[in-house]
Amino acid sequence: MAANEVLVLLADDDIDDCHLFKEVLEELPLSTRLTIVNNGDQLMKLLLKNTSQLPHVLFLDVNMPRKNGFQCLTEIKLSDKLKAIPVILYSTSSEQDVTDRLYQNGAQHFIRKPSDFLQFKRVIHYSLTLIMQETNLKRTKNNFILTGENDFINSETI
Amino acid sequence: MAILNKSFEEELILVREELCFEKEEKGKLFAELIVARNELFFQKDERGKRAAELGIANIELAFQKEEKGKRAAELGIANIELAFEDGEKEKRAVELGIANIELDFQNDEKEKRAAELSIANIELVFQNEEKEKRAAELGIANIELIFQNNEKEKRAAELGIANIELAFQNDEKEKRAAELGVANKELVFQNNEKEKRAAELIIANRELTFQNGEKEKRAAELIIANKELAFQNGEKEKRAEELVLVNTELLAFNYISSHDLQEPLRKIQTLAGRILEKETQNLSDTGKDYFHRIQSAAGRMRQLIEDLLVYSRTNIAERKFEKINLNTIIEEVKAELKENIEEKHAIIEATEMCEMNLIPFQFRQLMHNLIRNALKFSSPKRPPYILIKSRIVKGNKLNNAKLMHTKSYCHISVTDNGIGFEPEYKDRIFEVFQKLHNREEYEGTGIGLAIVKKIVENHNGIVTATSQLNKGATFDIYIPVTEN
Repeated sequence: MAANEVLVLLADDDIDDCHLFKEVLEELPLSTRLTIVNNGDQLMKLLLKNTSQLPHVLFLDVNMPRKNGFQCLTEIKLSDKLKAIPVILYSTSSEQDVTDRLYQNGAQHFIRKPSDFLQFKRVIHYSLTLIMQETNLKRTKNNFILTGENDFINSETI
Repeated sequence: MAILNKSFEEELILVREELCFEKEEKGKLFAELIVARNELFFQKDERGKRAAELGIANIELAFQKEEKGKRAAELGIANIELAFEDGEKEKRAVELGIANIELDFQNDEKEKRAAELSIANIELVFQNEEKEKRAAELGIANIELIFQNNEKEKRAAELGIANIELAFQNDEKEKRAAELGVANKELVFQNNEKEKRAAELIIANRELTFQNGEKEKRAAELIIANKELAFQNGEKEKRAEELVLVNTELLAFNYISSHDLQEPLRKIQTLAGRILEKETQNLSDTGKDYFHRIQSAAGRMRQLIEDLLVYSRTNIAERKFEKINLNTIIEEVKAELKENIEEKHAIIEATEMCEMNLIPFQFRQLMHNLIRNALKFSSPKRPPYILIKSRIVKGNKLNNAKLMHTKSYCHISVTDNGIGFEPEYKDRIFEVFQKLHNREEYEGTGIGLAIVKKIVENHNGIVTATSQLNKGATFDIYIPVTEN
């Protein structure tokens, strides 16, 4: 899979965060193609369009206007076409009841938006690595929340 | 019948004899009559004599002729009278004859009577026989009577004894009567008392009636008061519903505002970090320093917002109690602070943990804050040792005026061996934004212990802190035990 591009879809209403995410991907030693949408409606419209290619991974912001991350996650997991896409939710807050609900609704991982750029880079790299490794995408609770605090990229790099 | 005939014959004989006798008697009577007649004749003779005498006496009667004449007249009258008497006598004789006829008739009658008499005699004999029978019976009766009399005498003797007894009884009765008299006087006195009591009762009843009137007034007032209370309760329920709504809104507001406040701060941190990273060459040391400070300030603000969020949420949050073992919570907190614990080589010991009714999410925050503080304020000279104990104790065994003597409390203590604090600050440390050090010495928002206090209050308990400088600190929490 290394040769192929990883199609990354990002749904986030915050322009600054989108910009930072783009910069992170540019700095990672992975071949990625990024598509950005800014709210839930745009996301679902894009995903359900027949002509569009499905992404390999979706990074989904929880708090978005109109349709928020929760609703999108539920719709995606209910759709036969879309339910196989691994969805990584991310948000500024990481309250347990929120993350529990996201796990129950089928999210692959949860990332708390870090304030340190390097940490952000690490966690995105780690999550992409996990996605590419998990061929059947088994979900486990103890690896659900990713923080990027530990430097383990060296051991996991493909 | 033969006997009867015989007796009749005898009777007849008797009667005949009787008749004969009677006839004899009649004969006698005749004889006597004749004698009487003779007598009469004699009398007549006598008269003649008399007349002779008279003649003799005529001489005498010479002068008595007149007298005699008179007498003769008288005699004549007397003779007339006599003649009359003779006539009368003849009448008498006739009458006699009639009388004899009558006598015959009488005799007949007598014979009839005799017959009847004989019958009567028979009857009499019969009666006499009966009488003799009666007499015999009477004799027996008399014997019986004598016996009865003996009995009566015995009874009489007994009666005599009984009478003596009765006399004794009567004495007793008189004594009783005397006592009764006394009792009656007592009764009269009692009755007087009763009448006094009755009078008092009447007064009491009047009082009671009055009281009842008052009670009814009070009852009416109570009904009005109850209606008022029901209305007030309705109002309270409306207020309570409004409060619930307000709380829900506040919770939402809290979350949103904290999230929206944090977001720009995060950006500031991230972008400042990005600049430091990308523009290292173009920045002077001062410039780099400034950006570090910007990051630090933004970080502090984020921490403050987060702590404020937790603090306000402990106020607003629903207080859902669950029965949970303290050990579970402590293990969860140890997992949360794993890196910090490992970094400081801290030892956390939890002994005798009890099961309690808690709000799990809040109590976890409480233990997190206390243990985090114990780690933060540890002494650089020694590795941190945190001891957590719990026990159930009755309020009267504890020296705290705020604890009720009769209630049972779960007493949890968290003791550390850190830098401690001066005793005079033992209350101030629980106030919001109160810190005992400045930012350079120990970072922190000064809300941690305020949150702890709030959570303890949410559990209806109290928290106290004791410490000496450099001798560690102990936090004692008392939560009342509830049965749910």
